[in-house]
Amino acid sequence: MIMALFTRSYKPGVLFNTNLLWRSNSTLETLQKGEDEEEFRVLDILKKKDKHQRRVARPMKVPADRAEKMPTDQNWGNVWPGPRSFHPSSVPLPIRQGYVPKGQVPPGKKANAELMKIPNFLHLTPPVIKMQCEAIKKFCTEWPKMLNSEQAIEQHYPVEVITSDYCHASPTIRNPLARIVTLRVKLSSLELDKHAKDKFLRLVGDRYDKETDLVTFTADRCPMRKQNLDYVNYLLTATFHESWAVEDWEKQKSEEDMEYYNWDNNKSKRNLIDWYLKVKNEDRLLTDDEYKSFDVSEIPHAIEYKETVSDLFNVGENKETLSRYDTVVRKLLGLPEKKC
Amino acid sequence: MLSRNLRIACRRYSQSVTTFRTSEISPAQQNSNQIGLFYTLDNDLCKQLYGHGGLPKCFLKQTKTFTETTFMIRQPALEIIECIKATDFNKPAIRYVLHGEEGTGKSMTIAHLLHYAHQEGFLIIHVPWVSNWLRRVSRYKEMANSLTKEGFVDIPLDAAAWLLHFKTQNQHLLKSGELKVSKDYEWSKREKTPAGSTLLELIEHGIVRVKYACDVVDTLLHEVKLLSNTKQCKTFVAIDGYNGFFNPLTNLHTPTKKKVAPEEVTLTASFLELTKNDWTNGVMLLSTDAIAHPEYEQESYLPKYLLYRKGFDHIDPFVPIEVSNYTEKEFMTCASYYRDRLWLRGSPDIEKELKITSAHNPYRFMELCAPL
Repeated sequence: MIMALFTRSYKPGVLFNTNLLWRSNSTLETLQKGEDEEEFRVLDILKKKDKHQRRVARPMKVPADRAEKMPTDQNWGNVWPGPRSFHPSSVPLPIRQGYVPKGQVPPGKKANAELMKIPNFLHLTPPVIKMQCEAIKKFCTEWPKMLNSEQAIEQHYPVEVITSDYCHASPTIRNPLARIVTLRVKLSSLELDKHAKDKFLRLVGDRYDKETDLVTFTADRCPMRKQNLDYVNYLLTATFHESWAVEDWEKQKSEEDMEYYNWDNNKSKRNLIDWYLKVKNEDRLLTDDEYKSFDVSEIPHAIEYKETVSDLFNVGENKETLSRYDTVVRKLLGLPEKKC
Repeated sequence: MLSRNLRIACRRYSQSVTTFRTSEISPAQQNSNQIGLFYTLDNDLCKQLYGHGGLPKCFLKQTKTFTETTFMIRQPALEIIECIKATDFNKPAIRYVLHGEEGTGKSMTIAHLLHYAHQEGFLIIHVPWVSNWLRRVSRYKEMANSLTKEGFVDIPLDAAAWLLHFKTQNQHLLKSGELKVSKDYEWSKREKTPAGSTLLELIEHGIVRVKYACDVVDTLLHEVKLLSNTKQCKTFVAIDGYNGFFNPLTNLHTPTKKKVAPEEVTLTASFLELTKNDWTNGVMLLSTDAIAHPEYEQESYLPKYLLYRKGFDHIDPFVPIEVSNYTEKEFMTCASYYRDRLWLRGSPDIEKELKITSAHNPYRFMELCAPL
């Protein structure tokens, strides 16, 4: 039934669009329409015609670099007001930077990553600093006239507190490093006596620098600067007062615990006295106290000897102290001097 | 042309340094004009003085090769000789401490001075190398707890060997029989050394009855002190590597495997007693050596560091004498001596090279020349 209907109503071109067919198979129909009037086109494989017709590129009109247009008397502080990574057009300087093989010239400033990597201080030129100082001067108070030298400052303000402030443009203005407080004080300004100084040095340990005579306390354990400052002050106070205190057990300090070599309490003095008594053919035994209180000045060269032996221990053994010891011992024992 | 001239000049120069020997064989007569020159020792004397140790092993080998024993006359030895000449022997014995870098010739200086002491008629008490007793533990090292001293350790074989060394070094003095023991010594029920017997008998007893060797050494040193005090002999003490006595520990251990400290060895005690300056008519020559120090990499070769505090306290006041590297002149004479022995050959430039590579160090120079 359906088949009969199909055959009856069938007309060529009804079901299949001829145009569609053509498009899918060839373009012959459309070509025929246009080319009827024109001549036969030859396939130009090498495209000789186009070659002649290529457009000559005209130079683009690029405005001159900003760096070149800058007047020589401009205010540099306005050009480069704040810290910023390097920008070639804003800096009218013929800068070059970068590692190249020997004999070549380092690359120039344009498109130079090396120049952008390094921090620059173009915002901190001397005139700019001067200008800024002038600007903030009105907030400063006058410097005390009596504190006119380093010594005066040191004398009146022996304690030095060092903190750091950080300023940056981030969501938080707090920097954890700002809490760290360092307190420095010269040991000589504390005015300790012999015992207290020894104890103080043992208490502070490596916080004392022998060369600069400075004791340094650093605190970073508390979250706030104020707390750390309090703590540092507490440390100084506590060690200072503790070093003055004399405990019972400190009487047990023996010669090995001494922080320096005291010749009068040591075996070297006994040796010398024994030797001296032998030389004088005196046979007597001395007690410990007699040894300690023995006046060595009656022995010739003994004072020098005492000094050199003390040097040997206190300064340390080196060629110099040893040769001084040598000469003094020779004098003491009555031997000829060393020939050089 | 220039190089040829230079070569001729070099040759002439090297020929001009051919005076490397001196005929002055008596150390007492040697003076500073002969510094850097070599003198030859008599072979028999050499055997007597250094037969049981006293010369460094490598030097000994070299003397065998050269078929002669020669010592270079050097400043430290002359200095000590001069000091000894100027010493008042009625005063307590003076201690000289030789110090210097490794291989500069401390032991050789001691050997040279032993010759001097022998000639001058000193009784020689010479310890070739302290660490041989305390640190070198051979397989047959014998150790025993001391019978006479509580808590001490004996090393009888070493003590007996040392007694033999002492006997050979001083045979001429001992044979005369003038040196006598001051009091009776009783070793056991049947063995005793009566007062008035000679030192030689005492020593023989120690060598034969090894068990008592350490005690014999102790007595011997005590007797020598007494004899020196009474002017019957003058004594020359030479101890090489003296700082070995003050090291914290020795390599020895008791039968119960307990480590022994040097002060627990009887020999140490006797020799430390000897080196006190409570006796007269003697000279003590000690050397401190970095090699005898327990730490492998020593920081310093200076005596106070090597002796520790206790050692310094023990021998203070002493005269420190530095033995340094060769001077220019000493180096050149040594090189020409080696050339004479055909130990060193080749162009004269070789000396310059050796000088730089050895850095004027005598031991290193000797080592460098050996394979050439």
